[in-house]
Amino acid sequence: MPPIIRFDHVSVIAHEKTILSDISFTLLPGEKAVLSGKSGSGKSSVLRTLLGLHPIKSGTVYFQEQPLTPSSVQAVRSCTAYIGQEPMLGAESVRDALLLPFQFKTHRDHKPTEAQLIDVLQRLHLPADILRQESSRISGGEKQRIALARGLLLGKKLYLLDEVTSALDAESKQAVFDVFSDPQLTVLSVAHDPEWLERCGIVFELEAGRLTQVKRNGNT
Amino acid sequence: METLDIALPRMALLYGLCLLPWLLLRLIGLRLSRDIGISILRMSIQLALVGIYLKMLFDFNHPWLNGLWILVMLLVADLSILRRAGLKARYFVLATFMAIASSILFSTAYLVILVIQPTHFYDARYIVPLAGMILGNCLQGNVIALERFYSALRKNENEYATFLMLGATRWEAVLPYFREAVKAAINPTIAGMATMGLVSLPGMMTGQILGGSEPWLAVKYQIAIMICIFTSTAIACIINLKLSLNIAFNEFDVLRDEVIDKP
Repeated sequence: MPPIIRFDHVSVIAHEKTILSDISFTLLPGEKAVLSGKSGSGKSSVLRTLLGLHPIKSGTVYFQEQPLTPSSVQAVRSCTAYIGQEPMLGAESVRDALLLPFQFKTHRDHKPTEAQLIDVLQRLHLPADILRQESSRISGGEKQRIALARGLLLGKKLYLLDEVTSALDAESKQAVFDVFSDPQLTVLSVAHDPEWLERCGIVFELEAGRLTQVKRNGNT
Repeated sequence: METLDIALPRMALLYGLCLLPWLLLRLIGLRLSRDIGISILRMSIQLALVGIYLKMLFDFNHPWLNGLWILVMLLVADLSILRRAGLKARYFVLATFMAIASSILFSTAYLVILVIQPTHFYDARYIVPLAGMILGNCLQGNVIALERFYSALRKNENEYATFLMLGATRWEAVLPYFREAVKAAINPTIAGMATMGLVSLPGMMTGQILGGSEPWLAVKYQIAIMICIFTSTAIACIINLKLSLNIAFNEFDVLRDEVIDKP
Protein backbone atom coordinates (compact mmCIF):
# COMPACT_ATOMS: atom_id res chain seq x y z
CA MET A 1 0.00 0.00 0.00
CA PRO A 2 1.53 3.40 -0.94
CA PRO A 3 2.07 5.81 1.96
CA ILE A 4 -0.38 8.65 2.50
CA ILE A 5 2.40 10.91 3.82
CA ARG A 6 6.10 10.77 3.02
CA PHE A 7 8.72 13.25 4.19
CA ASP A 8 11.93 12.83 2.19
CA HIS A 9 14.91 14.65 3.75
CA VAL A 10 12.84 17.73 4.49
CA SER A 11 14.44 20.85 5.96
CA VAL A 12 12.50 23.99 6.79
CA ILE A 13 13.70 27.47 7.69
CA ALA A 14 11.28 29.99 9.17
CA HIS A 15 12.19 33.50 10.35
CA GLU A 16 15.85 32.77 9.50
CA LYS A 17 15.92 29.78 11.89
CA THR A 18 16.11 26.08 11.01
CA ILE A 19 12.97 24.53 12.45
CA LEU A 20 13.13 21.12 10.73
CA SER A 21 16.34 19.46 9.67
CA ASP A 22 16.57 16.51 7.27
CA ILE A 23 13.32 14.85 8.35
CA SER A 24 12.35 11.57 6.66
CA PHE A 25 9.42 9.32 7.57
CA THR A 26 6.39 7.63 6.02
CA LEU A 27 2.86 7.05 7.21
CA LEU A 28 0.52 4.50 5.64
CA PRO A 29 -3.25 4.96 5.29
CA GLY A 30 -5.04 4.08 8.53
CA GLU A 31 -1.93 4.40 10.70
CA LYS A 32 -2.01 6.44 13.88
CA ALA A 33 1.21 8.26 14.70
CA VAL A 34 2.30 10.74 17.30
CA LEU A 35 5.11 13.28 17.18
CA SER A 36 6.75 13.51 20.55
CA GLY A 37 9.44 15.77 21.93
CA LYS A 38 10.15 18.85 24.01
CA SER A 39 8.51 22.19 23.36
CA GLY A 40 10.17 23.83 20.33
CA SER A 41 11.44 20.53 18.92
CA GLY A 42 9.47 21.06 15.69
CA LYS A 43 6.42 18.81 16.26
CA SER A 44 3.79 21.35 15.16
CA SER A 45 6.08 22.48 12.33
CA VAL A 46 5.86 18.99 10.80
CA LEU A 47 2.07 19.35 10.64
CA ARG A 48 2.25 22.89 9.26
CA THR A 49 4.85 21.90 6.65
CA LEU A 50 2.59 19.15 5.37
CA LEU A 51 -0.14 21.76 4.91
CA GLY A 52 2.16 24.05 2.92
CA LEU A 53 2.26 26.68 5.67
CA HIS A 54 6.07 26.63 5.93
CA PRO A 55 8.25 27.00 2.83
CA ILE A 56 10.46 23.91 2.34
CA LYS A 57 14.18 24.69 2.00
CA SER A 58 15.23 21.23 0.80
CA GLY A 59 13.74 17.77 0.40
CA THR A 60 10.20 16.87 -0.67
CA VAL A 61 6.93 16.23 1.08
CA TYR A 62 4.68 13.69 -0.65
CA PHE A 63 0.96 13.34 -0.11
CA GLN A 64 -0.46 10.14 -1.61
CA GLU A 65 2.86 9.93 -3.47
CA GLN A 66 2.31 13.29 -5.16
CA PRO A 67 4.89 15.98 -4.28
CA LEU A 68 3.54 18.95 -2.36
CA THR A 69 3.48 21.84 -4.85
CA PRO A 70 1.47 25.05 -5.19
CA SER A 71 -0.91 23.23 -7.51
CA SER A 72 -1.37 20.19 -5.24
CA VAL A 73 -1.60 21.99 -1.89
CA GLN A 74 -5.34 22.68 -2.24
CA ALA A 75 -5.98 18.94 -2.69
CA VAL A 76 -3.87 18.12 0.39
CA ARG A 77 -5.77 20.67 2.46
CA SER A 78 -9.14 19.47 1.28
CA CYS A 79 -8.33 15.87 2.35
CA THR A 80 -6.88 16.91 5.70
CA ALA A 81 -8.38 18.14 8.97
CA TYR A 82 -6.05 20.15 11.18
CA ILE A 83 -7.18 20.60 14.77
CA GLY A 84 -5.05 22.72 17.07
CA GLN A 85 -4.97 23.20 20.82
CA GLU A 86 -7.22 26.24 20.56
CA PRO A 87 -9.07 25.64 17.30
CA MET A 88 -10.45 28.67 15.49
CA LEU A 89 -14.09 28.03 14.79
CA GLY A 90 -14.38 31.12 12.56
CA ALA A 91 -18.09 31.75 13.17
CA GLU A 92 -20.27 33.23 15.91
CA SER A 93 -22.48 30.22 16.64
CA VAL A 94 -21.54 26.55 16.86
CA ARG A 95 -23.99 25.70 14.07
CA ASP A 96 -22.40 28.32 11.78
CA ALA A 97 -18.95 27.01 12.69
CA LEU A 98 -19.95 23.49 11.66
CA LEU A 99 -21.46 24.74 8.42
CA LEU A 100 -18.63 27.20 7.65
CA PRO A 101 -16.72 24.98 5.19
CA PHE A 102 -19.89 24.36 3.22
CA GLN A 103 -19.92 28.06 2.22
CA PHE A 104 -16.79 27.44 0.20
CA LYS A 105 -17.11 26.48 -3.43
CA THR A 106 -15.39 23.11 -3.02
CA HIS A 107 -17.93 21.83 -0.41
CA ARG A 108 -21.00 23.88 -1.38
CA ASP A 109 -22.92 20.94 -2.80
CA HIS A 110 -22.35 18.67 0.20
CA LYS A 111 -24.10 20.60 2.96
CA PRO A 112 -24.98 18.18 5.82
CA THR A 113 -28.55 17.61 6.99
CA GLU A 114 -29.69 18.38 10.55
CA ALA A 115 -29.68 14.63 11.30
CA GLN A 116 -26.04 14.33 10.15
CA LEU A 117 -25.07 17.28 12.37
CA ILE A 118 -26.70 15.71 15.43
CA ASP A 119 -25.24 12.29 14.65
CA VAL A 120 -21.68 13.60 14.47
CA LEU A 121 -22.16 15.55 17.72
CA GLN A 122 -23.42 12.40 19.46
CA ARG A 123 -20.38 10.44 18.27
CA LEU A 124 -18.22 12.97 20.07
CA HIS A 125 -20.42 13.04 23.21
CA LEU A 126 -21.68 16.55 22.54
CA PRO A 127 -25.33 17.53 23.21
CA ALA A 128 -27.48 18.63 20.25
CA ASP A 129 -28.33 21.96 21.92
CA ILE A 130 -24.68 23.04 21.63
CA LEU A 131 -25.59 24.01 18.05
CA ARG A 132 -27.39 27.07 19.43
CA GLN A 133 -24.50 28.21 21.61
CA GLU A 134 -22.04 30.97 20.83
CA SER A 135 -18.61 29.69 19.79
CA SER A 136 -16.89 32.06 22.21
CA ARG A 137 -18.82 30.61 25.19
CA ILE A 138 -17.94 26.94 24.81
CA SER A 139 -14.94 25.35 26.55
CA GLY A 140 -11.59 24.56 24.91
CA GLY A 141 -12.39 20.83 24.91
CA GLU A 142 -15.77 21.44 23.26
CA LYS A 143 -14.10 23.64 20.63
CA GLN A 144 -11.69 20.83 19.81
CA ARG A 145 -14.53 18.35 19.42
CA ILE A 146 -16.52 20.80 17.25
CA ALA A 147 -13.45 21.20 15.02
CA LEU A 148 -13.19 17.41 14.91
CA ALA A 149 -16.89 17.12 14.08
CA ARG A 150 -16.33 19.53 11.22
CA GLY A 151 -13.59 17.29 9.85
CA LEU A 152 -15.86 14.24 10.11
CA LEU A 153 -18.70 16.08 8.33
CA LEU A 154 -16.28 16.89 5.52
CA GLY A 155 -15.41 13.19 5.27
CA LYS A 156 -11.69 13.89 5.81
CA LYS A 157 -9.42 10.88 5.89
CA LEU A 158 -6.27 12.44 7.35
CA TYR A 159 -6.32 14.15 10.75
CA LEU A 160 -3.50 16.36 11.99
CA LEU A 161 -4.10 16.78 15.69
CA ASP A 162 -2.12 19.21 17.82
CA GLU A 163 -2.62 18.33 21.52
CA VAL A 164 -6.31 17.58 21.07
CA THR A 165 -6.76 15.55 24.21
CA SER A 166 -5.14 18.12 26.51
CA ALA A 167 -8.45 19.81 27.40
CA LEU A 168 -10.67 16.71 27.43
CA ASP A 169 -12.15 14.80 30.38
CA ALA A 170 -11.91 11.00 30.46
CA GLU A 171 -15.31 10.44 28.82
CA SER A 172 -14.69 12.92 25.96
CA LYS A 173 -11.23 11.49 25.44
CA GLN A 174 -12.73 8.03 25.06
CA ALA A 175 -15.17 9.41 22.46
CA VAL A 176 -12.22 10.79 20.47
CA PHE A 177 -10.36 7.46 20.76
CA ASP A 178 -13.47 5.67 19.53
CA VAL A 179 -13.75 7.96 16.49
CA PHE A 180 -10.12 7.32 15.55
CA SER A 181 -10.39 3.58 16.01
CA ASP A 182 -11.83 3.66 12.47
CA PRO A 183 -9.13 1.94 10.35
CA GLN A 184 -9.92 4.24 7.41
CA LEU A 185 -8.78 7.34 9.29
CA THR A 186 -5.10 8.26 9.38
CA VAL A 187 -3.80 10.34 12.27
CA LEU A 188 -0.60 12.33 12.66
CA SER A 189 -0.67 13.99 16.03
CA VAL A 190 1.31 16.02 18.50
CA ALA A 191 0.78 14.89 22.08
CA HIS A 192 2.27 14.56 25.53
CA ASP A 193 -0.66 12.59 26.95
CA PRO A 194 0.68 9.09 27.92
CA GLU A 195 -2.69 7.47 27.15
CA TRP A 196 -2.67 8.92 23.63
CA LEU A 197 0.99 7.90 23.11
CA GLU A 198 0.10 4.38 24.15
CA ARG A 199 -2.79 4.13 21.71
CA CYS A 200 -0.83 5.39 18.71
CA GLY A 201 0.99 2.67 16.79
CA ILE A 202 3.93 4.86 15.85
CA VAL A 203 5.89 7.41 17.87
CA PHE A 204 8.25 9.84 16.11
CA GLU A 205 10.71 11.37 18.58
CA LEU A 206 11.90 14.86 17.64
CA GLU A 207 14.73 16.87 19.13
CA ALA A 208 15.74 20.36 17.97
CA GLY A 209 14.05 19.86 14.58
CA ARG A 210 15.61 16.43 13.97
CA LEU A 211 13.90 13.06 13.96
CA THR A 212 15.90 11.07 16.50
CA GLN A 213 13.86 7.90 16.97
CA VAL A 214 10.91 6.02 15.45
CA LYS A 215 9.04 3.52 17.61
CA ARG A 216 6.54 1.19 15.95
CA ASN A 217 4.19 -0.77 18.21
CA GLY A 218 6.65 -0.52 21.05
CA ASN A 219 9.64 -1.48 18.86
CA THR A 220 12.42 1.04 18.16
CA MET B 1 -17.45 89.64 -6.68
CA GLU B 2 -13.69 89.81 -5.94
CA THR B 3 -12.00 87.90 -3.12
CA LEU B 4 -10.17 90.24 -0.75
CA ASP B 5 -6.42 89.76 -0.85
CA ILE B 6 -4.48 89.15 2.39
CA ALA B 7 -1.45 91.41 2.36
CA LEU B 8 1.86 90.05 3.73
CA PRO B 9 1.81 92.05 7.03
CA ARG B 10 -1.63 90.62 7.71
CA MET B 11 -0.37 87.12 6.86
CA ALA B 12 2.26 87.66 9.58
CA LEU B 13 -0.58 88.55 11.92
CA LEU B 14 -2.18 85.22 11.00
CA TYR B 15 0.91 83.25 12.03
CA GLY B 16 0.73 85.12 15.34
CA LEU B 17 -2.54 83.32 16.06
CA CYS B 18 -0.55 80.12 16.60
CA LEU B 19 1.12 81.66 19.64
CA LEU B 20 -2.06 81.14 21.65
CA PRO B 21 -2.29 77.32 21.25
CA TRP B 22 1.51 77.10 21.59
CA LEU B 23 1.29 78.88 24.96
CA LEU B 24 -1.64 76.71 26.13
CA LEU B 25 0.17 73.53 25.09
CA ARG B 26 3.24 74.63 27.06
CA LEU B 27 1.05 75.32 30.08
CA ILE B 28 -0.24 71.74 30.11
CA GLY B 29 3.31 70.45 29.72
CA LEU B 30 3.23 69.50 26.04
CA ARG B 31 6.51 70.55 24.45
CA LEU B 32 5.54 70.47 20.80
CA SER B 33 7.15 73.77 19.70
CA ARG B 34 9.56 72.03 17.33
CA ASP B 35 6.89 69.85 15.69
CA ILE B 36 4.45 72.73 15.36
CA GLY B 37 7.14 75.05 13.99
CA ILE B 38 8.32 72.49 11.41
CA SER B 39 4.75 71.65 10.35
CA ILE B 40 3.78 75.30 9.85
CA LEU B 41 7.01 76.00 7.98
CA ARG B 42 6.57 72.93 5.74
CA MET B 43 2.96 73.79 5.04
CA SER B 44 3.90 77.36 4.09
CA ILE B 45 6.80 76.36 1.82
CA GLN B 46 4.91 73.47 0.18
CA LEU B 47 1.83 75.59 -0.50
CA ALA B 48 3.97 78.49 -1.78
CA LEU B 49 5.63 76.09 -4.22
CA VAL B 50 2.25 74.66 -5.22
CA GLY B 51 1.06 78.24 -5.76
CA ILE B 52 3.98 78.90 -8.09
CA TYR B 53 3.43 75.63 -9.96
CA LEU B 54 -0.32 76.15 -10.26
CA LYS B 55 0.18 79.69 -11.56
CA MET B 56 2.56 78.28 -14.17
CA LEU B 57 0.16 75.44 -15.05
CA PHE B 58 -2.76 77.83 -15.42
CA ASP B 59 -0.71 80.23 -17.56
CA PHE B 60 0.54 77.51 -19.94
CA ASN B 61 -2.60 75.33 -19.74
CA HIS B 62 -0.98 72.67 -21.90
CA PRO B 63 -2.47 69.12 -21.87
CA TRP B 64 0.94 67.37 -21.50
CA LEU B 65 2.07 69.66 -18.69
CA ASN B 66 -1.23 69.17 -16.87
CA GLY B 67 -0.94 65.42 -17.38
CA LEU B 68 2.62 65.46 -16.05
CA TRP B 69 1.49 67.29 -12.93
CA ILE B 70 -1.22 64.68 -12.28
CA LEU B 71 1.34 61.92 -12.84
CA VAL B 72 3.64 63.48 -10.23
CA MET B 73 0.72 63.73 -7.79
CA LEU B 74 -0.12 60.05 -8.38
CA LEU B 75 3.48 58.93 -7.81
CA VAL B 76 3.81 60.91 -4.58
CA ALA B 77 0.43 59.54 -3.39
CA ASP B 78 1.47 55.99 -4.34
CA LEU B 79 4.63 56.07 -2.20
CA SER B 80 2.85 57.86 0.62
CA ILE B 81 0.07 55.22 0.73
CA LEU B 82 2.56 52.34 0.97
CA ARG B 83 4.75 54.04 3.58
CA ARG B 84 1.78 54.84 5.80
CA ALA B 85 0.21 51.41 5.32
CA GLY B 86 3.46 49.73 6.45
CA LEU B 87 4.07 47.88 3.17
CA LYS B 88 7.33 47.76 1.25
CA ALA B 89 7.15 50.04 -1.78
CA ARG B 90 9.40 47.88 -3.95
CA TYR B 91 6.76 45.13 -3.98
CA PHE B 92 3.54 47.11 -4.24
CA VAL B 93 4.48 50.34 -6.04
CA LEU B 94 3.08 49.25 -9.41
CA ALA B 95 -0.12 47.67 -8.04
CA THR B 96 -1.00 50.73 -5.96
CA PHE B 97 -0.14 53.05 -8.83
CA MET B 98 -2.42 51.13 -11.20
CA ALA B 99 -5.25 51.15 -8.66
CA ILE B 100 -5.16 54.85 -7.85
CA ALA B 101 -4.33 55.98 -11.39
CA SER B 102 -7.20 54.05 -12.96
CA SER B 103 -9.77 55.19 -10.40
CA ILE B 104 -8.63 58.85 -10.30
CA LEU B 105 -8.37 59.18 -14.07
CA PHE B 106 -11.76 57.53 -14.54
CA SER B 107 -13.64 59.64 -11.98
CA THR B 108 -11.91 62.92 -12.93
CA ALA B 109 -12.51 62.30 -16.63
CA TYR B 110 -16.15 61.39 -15.93
CA LEU B 111 -16.64 64.58 -13.89
CA VAL B 112 -14.81 66.94 -16.26
CA ILE B 113 -15.77 65.52 -19.66
CA LEU B 114 -19.34 64.36 -19.00
CA VAL B 115 -20.55 66.58 -16.17
CA ILE B 116 -18.70 69.94 -16.15
CA GLN B 117 -17.90 69.99 -19.89
CA PRO B 118 -15.35 72.86 -20.10
CA THR B 119 -14.23 74.06 -23.56
CA HIS B 120 -11.01 72.03 -23.22
CA PHE B 121 -11.20 68.82 -21.16
CA TYR B 122 -7.60 69.32 -20.07
CA ASP B 123 -8.26 72.79 -18.64
CA ALA B 124 -5.86 73.06 -15.68
CA ARG B 125 -8.34 75.19 -13.71
CA TYR B 126 -10.64 72.14 -13.54
CA ILE B 127 -8.62 68.96 -13.79
CA VAL B 128 -5.71 69.90 -11.51
CA PRO B 129 -7.68 70.93 -8.39
CA LEU B 130 -10.40 68.31 -8.92
CA ALA B 131 -7.96 65.43 -9.44
CA GLY B 132 -5.94 66.69 -6.47
CA MET B 133 -8.96 66.73 -4.16
CA ILE B 134 -10.17 63.33 -5.27
CA LEU B 135 -6.65 61.90 -4.94
CA GLY B 136 -6.12 63.38 -1.46
CA ASN B 137 -9.22 61.61 -0.16
CA CYS B 138 -8.54 58.45 -2.13
CA LEU B 139 -5.08 58.34 -0.52
CA GLN B 140 -6.56 58.24 2.99
CA GLY B 141 -8.93 55.47 1.98
CA ASN B 142 -6.19 53.34 0.46
CA VAL B 143 -3.96 53.73 3.52
CA ILE B 144 -6.82 52.52 5.73
CA ALA B 145 -7.72 49.65 3.38
CA LEU B 146 -4.19 48.26 3.04
CA GLU B 147 -3.24 48.80 6.67
CA ARG B 148 -6.45 47.21 8.03
CA PHE B 149 -6.32 44.29 5.64
CA TYR B 150 -2.73 43.26 6.27
CA SER B 151 -2.87 43.87 10.04
CA ALA B 152 -6.05 41.79 10.25
CA LEU B 153 -4.40 38.97 8.31
CA ARG B 154 -1.34 38.98 10.56
CA LYS B 155 -3.47 39.20 13.70
CA ASN B 156 -5.80 36.39 12.55
CA GLU B 157 -3.14 34.20 10.97
CA ASN B 158 -4.59 31.03 12.57
CA GLU B 159 -8.13 31.83 11.53
CA TYR B 160 -6.99 32.48 7.94
CA ALA B 161 -5.09 29.16 7.96
CA THR B 162 -8.21 27.43 9.33
CA PHE B 163 -10.26 28.74 6.39
CA LEU B 164 -7.64 27.35 4.00
CA MET B 165 -7.72 24.00 5.81
CA LEU B 166 -11.48 23.90 5.47
CA GLY B 167 -11.18 24.04 1.72
CA ALA B 168 -11.33 27.79 1.11
CA THR B 169 -9.42 29.19 -1.82
CA ARG B 170 -7.10 32.11 -1.05
CA TRP B 171 -9.81 34.51 -2.17
CA GLU B 172 -12.49 32.85 -0.03
CA ALA B 173 -10.15 32.82 2.99
CA VAL B 174 -9.25 36.52 2.78
CA LEU B 175 -12.75 37.72 1.90
CA PRO B 176 -13.89 38.51 5.51
CA TYR B 177 -10.80 40.72 6.06
CA PHE B 178 -11.11 42.18 2.56
CA ARG B 179 -14.71 43.26 3.21
CA GLU B 180 -13.83 44.77 6.61
CA ALA B 181 -10.89 46.70 5.14
CA VAL B 182 -12.95 48.17 2.28
CA LYS B 183 -15.74 49.06 4.72
CA ALA B 184 -13.27 50.85 7.04
CA ALA B 185 -11.82 52.72 4.06
CA ILE B 186 -15.09 54.05 2.67
CA ASN B 187 -16.90 54.59 5.98
CA PRO B 188 -15.40 58.07 6.62
CA THR B 189 -16.60 59.22 3.17
CA ILE B 190 -20.07 57.75 3.71
CA ALA B 191 -20.29 59.37 7.17
CA GLY B 192 -18.93 62.62 5.74
CA MET B 193 -21.63 62.69 3.06
CA ALA B 194 -24.35 61.96 5.62
CA THR B 195 -23.41 64.90 7.84
CA MET B 196 -22.18 67.30 5.17
CA GLY B 197 -23.51 70.80 5.67
CA LEU B 198 -24.90 69.96 9.12
CA VAL B 199 -21.71 69.55 11.09
CA SER B 200 -19.43 71.73 8.99
CA LEU B 201 -19.29 73.52 5.69
CA PRO B 202 -17.07 71.55 3.33
CA GLY B 203 -13.70 73.05 2.40
CA MET B 204 -14.19 73.26 -1.32
CA MET B 205 -17.61 74.86 -1.01
CA THR B 206 -16.26 77.41 1.48
CA GLY B 207 -13.38 78.12 -0.91
CA GLN B 208 -15.70 78.65 -3.84
CA ILE B 209 -17.98 80.94 -1.85
CA LEU B 210 -14.96 82.95 -0.68
CA GLY B 211 -13.77 82.97 -4.29
CA GLY B 212 -16.97 84.70 -5.32
CA SER B 213 -19.17 81.82 -6.55
CA GLU B 214 -22.88 81.71 -5.95
CA PRO B 215 -23.70 79.36 -3.02
CA TRP B 216 -25.94 77.21 -5.28
CA LEU B 217 -23.07 76.69 -7.75
CA ALA B 218 -20.71 75.87 -4.89
CA VAL B 219 -23.23 73.30 -3.60
CA LYS B 220 -23.40 71.58 -7.01
CA TYR B 221 -19.61 71.35 -7.22
CA GLN B 222 -19.42 70.03 -3.68
CA ILE B 223 -21.94 67.28 -4.46
CA ALA B 224 -20.01 66.43 -7.63
CA ILE B 225 -16.69 66.19 -5.82
CA MET B 226 -18.11 64.08 -2.97
CA ILE B 227 -19.63 61.57 -5.39
CA CYS B 228 -16.32 61.35 -7.25
CA ILE B 229 -14.35 60.94 -4.00
CA PHE B 230 -16.65 58.13 -2.90
CA THR B 231 -16.52 56.42 -6.31
CA SER B 232 -12.77 56.64 -6.75
CA THR B 233 -12.01 55.61 -3.15
CA ALA B 234 -14.21 52.51 -3.39
CA ILE B 235 -12.83 51.52 -6.82
CA ALA B 236 -9.19 52.20 -5.91
CA CYS B 237 -9.37 50.30 -2.60
CA ILE B 238 -10.94 47.23 -4.20
CA ILE B 239 -8.48 47.20 -7.13
CA ASN B 240 -5.52 47.91 -4.85
CA LEU B 241 -6.33 45.13 -2.38
CA LYS B 242 -7.12 42.68 -5.17
CA LEU B 243 -3.86 43.40 -7.02
CA SER B 244 -1.86 43.25 -3.78
CA LEU B 245 -3.07 39.67 -3.15
CA ASN B 246 -0.94 38.44 -6.05
CA ILE B 247 2.15 40.01 -4.50
CA ALA B 248 1.70 39.55 -0.75
CA PHE B 249 1.19 35.77 -0.72
CA ASN B 250 3.48 32.96 -1.73
CA GLU B 251 2.37 30.12 -4.03
CA PHE B 252 1.07 28.20 -0.99
CA ASP B 253 -1.23 31.11 -0.03
CA VAL B 254 0.92 32.09 2.96
CA LEU B 255 1.49 35.79 3.65
CA ARG B 256 5.11 36.67 2.79
CA ASP B 257 6.88 38.26 5.76
CA GLU B 258 9.26 40.19 3.55
CA VAL B 259 6.55 42.38 1.98
CA ILE B 260 5.61 43.92 5.32
CA ASP B 261 7.65 46.89 6.46
CA LYS B 262 8.16 46.09 10.12
CA PRO B 263 8.45 49.08 12.46
